[in-house]
Amino acid sequence: MNSGARVALYCAWLALIVAVGWGVARHLKISSDLRDFVPPARSADQKLLLDEIGKGPGSRLLLLAISGAPRARLAELSRGLDDALAHDPGFAHVANGGSDLAEVASDLLPYRYLLSPTLDTHRFDAAYLRAQLQQRVEDLSSPAASLLEPWLRRDPTLETLKLAQLWAPQRQPKLADGVWFSERGEALLVAETRAAGFDPGAQAAAIASLQEHFAALPGAAGAKLAISGPGWFGVEASRNTRAEADRFGAITTVGFVIMLLLAYRSAVPVLVTALPLLSGAVVGFALLALVFGHAHGITVAFGFTLLGVAQEYPLRVFSHRRIGVDTATCVRELWPLLATAIASVCIAYLAFFASGVAGLQQLAVFTIGGLVTAGACTRWLLPRVVPPARRDMAATPGLATAWHFLARLPRPRWLPWLVAVAGCAVVVLAPGGFWQNDLSALTPIPTAELQRDARLRAALGAPDVRYLLVLRAKDAQGVLALSERVAPRLRKLVADHAVDGFELPSRYLPSVATQRARQSRLPDRGDLEASLQQAMQDLPFRAGVFAPFVADVEAARTLPPLTPAGFEQSPLGTRLESMLVRQGDGWVGLGALSGVNDPAAFAQLSRDTHGAAHLLDLKASTESLVVAYRHRILVALGVAALLLCAAVTLALRSPRRALHVLGPMTLATLLVLVVLRGAGIPLSLFHLVSLTLAAGLGLHYALFFERRTGDEREDLRTLHATLVCVASALLVFGVLALSSVPVLRAIGLTVALGVAFHFTLSVLMAPAAHLRALDGSLPDSSARAESGTGPDPASPNPAPKRGA
Amino acid sequence: MWHSVAVLIVSLLPGAAMAATPTQTMAESLLAALAKTPPVSTPFVQVSYRGVLARPLIVSGTLQWLGGDRMQRDIDKPFNETARIGDGELSVQRGGGEVHRMPLARAPQAGAMLAGFRALLGGDVAALQQDFTLTADGGTAHWVITLTPHTESLKRQLASIVIDGRDNEPRCLTVSDANGDSSITLVGAMAEQGLRSAAPLESALAARCRNPK
Repeated sequence: MNSGARVALYCAWLALIVAVGWGVARHLKISSDLRDFVPPARSADQKLLLDEIGKGPGSRLLLLAISGAPRARLAELSRGLDDALAHDPGFAHVANGGSDLAEVASDLLPYRYLLSPTLDTHRFDAAYLRAQLQQRVEDLSSPAASLLEPWLRRDPTLETLKLAQLWAPQRQPKLADGVWFSERGEALLVAETRAAGFDPGAQAAAIASLQEHFAALPGAAGAKLAISGPGWFGVEASRNTRAEADRFGAITTVGFVIMLLLAYRSAVPVLVTALPLLSGAVVGFALLALVFGHAHGITVAFGFTLLGVAQEYPLRVFSHRRIGVDTATCVRELWPLLATAIASVCIAYLAFFASGVAGLQQLAVFTIGGLVTAGACTRWLLPRVVPPARRDMAATPGLATAWHFLARLPRPRWLPWLVAVAGCAVVVLAPGGFWQNDLSALTPIPTAELQRDARLRAALGAPDVRYLLVLRAKDAQGVLALSERVAPRLRKLVADHAVDGFELPSRYLPSVATQRARQSRLPDRGDLEASLQQAMQDLPFRAGVFAPFVADVEAARTLPPLTPAGFEQSPLGTRLESMLVRQGDGWVGLGALSGVNDPAAFAQLSRDTHGAAHLLDLKASTESLVVAYRHRILVALGVAALLLCAAVTLALRSPRRALHVLGPMTLATLLVLVVLRGAGIPLSLFHLVSLTLAAGLGLHYALFFERRTGDEREDLRTLHATLVCVASALLVFGVLALSSVPVLRAIGLTVALGVAFHFTLSVLMAPAAHLRALDGSLPDSSARAESGTGPDPASPNPAPKRGA
Repeated sequence: MWHSVAVLIVSLLPGAAMAATPTQTMAESLLAALAKTPPVSTPFVQVSYRGVLARPLIVSGTLQWLGGDRMQRDIDKPFNETARIGDGELSVQRGGGEVHRMPLARAPQAGAMLAGFRALLGGDVAALQQDFTLTADGGTAHWVITLTPHTESLKRQLASIVIDGRDNEPRCLTVSDANGDSSITLVGAMAEQGLRSAAPLESALAARCRNPK
């Protein structure tokens, strides 16, 4: 193949990767829906969590604080932002303390006698009306008179204001210049996004639009807008993680290029090495798009991590090329071993596919598709785009010395067993939790931001993100009735300081039964007029001034009770909507709680309602899902390990040789666990996936060191390839281990440690015969003791014999 | 709301220099000379004329400015009521009963009014002019300062606040609501003199406020 054809093929390959990648990017939906990631929910609460996570009243709230300007301007900015967000379709609700709830209540004016609790304890008789009217006379000379007067003729008992008070936040920040202010003089707002709290894409869009609105306000230039809440934390965490990953990515790319140039003294590997991996990735994504149509972001992250082993395929080829020998021939010689590695790993990942968990199946499809593609590209495409080798890597200065050094290392046979036993002991006995179930612990929020969130949450009386009161019933009316029943119990819990505040669906809408009961206590027109006349005696009101009141009461007597659907048309509708949801064939009420001090105090409530009303700990429920997911992953990994053992044994056609490959892998994995456990690091899903990647790399080291070529120069090339692979993995993941983001640190540390252990153990536990062949005079007795096996004719790669 | 706040403003006006100057400057010079040190208090009699009432409503008691954004109005007759404004909140307690609290934000205009009132007592005419147009008229025997709101939210509730005074002393405060209701509050010496009728006509009372004698 001439160089023109090679360049053309290279360009075509690159173009194909870009084209497929572009097509996939358009069609594959990367979701953040937890249902795509975790196993199917088993308990009703898990189901509720998956359906409603992030939709709950607390998790969609963004807490806003504006500072850095004089108070009057802050208030102006608060009003401006309130107005902008009220007209933004991305936000369901916004409050800054300036809105007049009486205006909201006026939308439901005809229903006021059905919604207000007044008629539960009173009747509109002469005595009650007289007492009320007397108070109104006094109200008219009070400073609040101008507030009351517009309502007086229609609503002399002030039901509208009672509703407004009922619906107002139970705790409010201080007001200044008509809007909420914190103790530190920040103007405060709460905004409720329509998007779910744990939908980072939608939250990022909502936050971006919020920031744009703010920046567009006159006088916003000097002021500072601080945002807090679950949505903000999610967006911040992914932004920080991505920023750091990008920064490290740039550093390691430069380092990797320099290393390749040093190792191969040629620009060719730099240009070509990434292509098989990229091809594998775009094919993996294309398969996800074809088979599933979507994938969870975490699945993609895991898949990409596992695909990292494919990075080694082209490096192996470059190290094994020889002067005067066609690259294709060299690849063909390596192929049995590479194919063994690829096939074994792919067979192992079949266990993931059988797991029945959508996220793990996607992972399997992506990884298997990607590895097979990367392997095939290395085997059939790579040799056609690279020019013939001009150097033999076996001649690399210092390589032979390194080989002799490694060969001369002592290899006591008892050491692996001792390490295994001691390692198991450390893993089992080390103090501290074994597992990290809290996924958010991997992308932690800076303490300063957490403190600010707690401060703003307390100031605004915003609901707790962690706890919800769940009310279950057959239908919506059942939920509302249950909500009415438990309200007194919750008031008791507030009095006992078990919880600071609560908000139940029945606070906004009483059940139809309650509304009918109130309706039945409304007097008819004749009775009301007579009572009113009696009540007005000697009071200064003009005669007939309350005619609108009489007409409204008459109309309310025959009004059909307000249903959830009807209430949801009102400005407060979105609040009820988020608190009253259909689930399966039942209905669920979500009560917001703020400041849960004693979760255990809710147990009695749960017992008394036979579980119909109970506290839902979102954190515990999410963790139970993570535990279930990890359980499936561990089972899948266990099966995968067995399949891998079987595949390797079958390929090598010798249990003894398989032991030489699998022994170092197992022990190295154990040693990584020892270090992590010894350092008190609880294991997360990311650690597990990283261990798997490291094991995949370790499989290569062990397989290649186990290979007997009988050819000194080929052995040196193997060492060269392995050293380049190890160095590149240590470079990439070692740098990642320095990250300040725990999830990146977890992956980096685990893989870097794994690579180091796998390499060391592959060298130390390789059959000593061919290692020592170069240096037969080694006086090491333990190494000699292992020298029983000679060159094995069943070797997958018997091609280049020593001295050939 | 206006009533009490505005009453307070006027009741605390010290004797003003009544030089015959163009109106705008006259109002400014009047107000600029009004800076006072809290606490200050004055008796008051408030007569309210309201559409829903067949006869005027009369209450009397004491008004106080406690400094900052705090003020208090105590009604002694015909019932006991204490109303306090402070910390962005309005609280009303009647006859030793339950204290009713409401955020001043429910009447955002009240917040602006309070700000104006503080500005007035601090002698800050510029701040007052953010919400109101000021005009002044008359002479030593009878002077008038008129505050007309020019912000939309204020205009929805309030038509005008008129302060009548004589020599060094404010006498009456007339607050006209946007809906046509009004109230006249007598302060200082006028309040001490009291009313001459159990149900004074609005026109008669207004004439008394303007009367230079």
